[in-house]
Amino acid sequence: MQVTPLQFEVHPSSGVPIYCQIMDQVRALIAGGKLANGDVLPSVRQMAAELGINMMTVSKAYSKLEADGVVSRSRGQGMLVDQREHVGSVSDRRRELQPFAEQLVVRGIQLSLSDEQMLTVVRNSQRELRESANA
Amino acid sequence: MSKPVIEIRDLQKSYGRRQKAVLQGVDLTVASGTVMGLVGTNGEGKSTLIKCLLGLLKPSGGEIRVFGEDPWDLSPKNKARIGYVPQEPALLPWMTVRQQLAYAAAFFPSWDSSFAAELMRQFGLPWDDRVGPLSLGQKQKVAIVLALAHRPELLILDEPVASLDPVARRRFLESLARMTENDNQTILFSTHITSDLERVASHLAMLKDGSIAVCDELDHLKDRVKRLRISAGEDLPTWFAIGGALRTEVQGHTALVAMASVNDGLVQELRTRWNADVSIEDLNLEEIFVEMQLV
Repeated sequence: MQVTPLQFEVHPSSGVPIYCQIMDQVRALIAGGKLANGDVLPSVRQMAAELGINMMTVSKAYSKLEADGVVSRSRGQGMLVDQREHVGSVSDRRRELQPFAEQLVVRGIQLSLSDEQMLTVVRNSQRELRESANA
Repeated sequence: MSKPVIEIRDLQKSYGRRQKAVLQGVDLTVASGTVMGLVGTNGEGKSTLIKCLLGLLKPSGGEIRVFGEDPWDLSPKNKARIGYVPQEPALLPWMTVRQQLAYAAAFFPSWDSSFAAELMRQFGLPWDDRVGPLSLGQKQKVAIVLALAHRPELLILDEPVASLDPVARRRFLESLARMTENDNQTILFSTHITSDLERVASHLAMLKDGSIAVCDELDHLKDRVKRLRISAGEDLPTWFAIGGALRTEVQGHTALVAMASVNDGLVQELRTRWNADVSIEDLNLEEIFVEMQLV
């Protein structure tokens, strides 16, 4: 599958650095099944021109994704998705997810949702991601 | 590591008989390939700094090197490598836009007429109107075409977009973003529109009280400058303070603290010491700018 720069959306004035936004979105595209191992990311030049951002910002995002073992650089082809199996024990990986769960719970409480209602939201997004991956 | 394009050491500039000091020891190095945003409140000396860099003003003290030379005595060869968009476009009002372009082109061996024509089209500029009666925004567009068309290695922009409409501003930013494809392209860009810098700048320098208060990679700056929102179990004392804070605001049991950098240890300590919820908020460039100015 091929993604285009138009599938990315950057908000320069958000507090999150643009390179982090791109990294998060690549990860989200992989999690959502829009990108699979062996797929090619848009070139740095294409991304910078379409999104109207500095080339170095895109390079930085790609290099960090490479260092994190999400993509790998292939001569002549550019950046390929190459998500390695997660290393670390289940408890390690759960600890990594914990802060996101905290955010979700806090927001849920602010919205006066019950525990069960929050879990429904989580299950719904799991299902949606699975369905879009299979589609 | 390539040689820096701009090197400034202890630059001083005072004006007038009373020798009002505007720049009081500016140190700044701009490496080749950098897009450096220059920010600072009005009257902080951004234009003065830029004019000293271009050899349009003589510094009162300190040293400047542009392409390794003193800008006051810059060789024609190196002058041709620089493009400059001044705050107020200096054009020849009696010429048509076409004549103005041809006039400028004659000075530059590297003038790229097809690139100039492309910029003219992008900006929707009229070739055969006289320059004089053009609106300020259109004059600024002409000045941008004049500064870019010889494909300068060093582009210096002094609030170039102040009078541009949003469409033209976006076009201009896209041209700048495209210029960053070239590894040797160096840009120094002064502006108040921080969202423009967030798109194209790789580095940021902030002028404050006559010297550079902050000079850092833009991403690194956003990674480190954070605001802590602290919500304690009980009212916080009025003397509440955190070492290294840029600004602290306390109200009852909550406090907002802007920090130049945050580490997990500090957050943990705040949580236990004050029995507090501490959240870390990301700041955009405008917020960082404001927090730093209030110090």
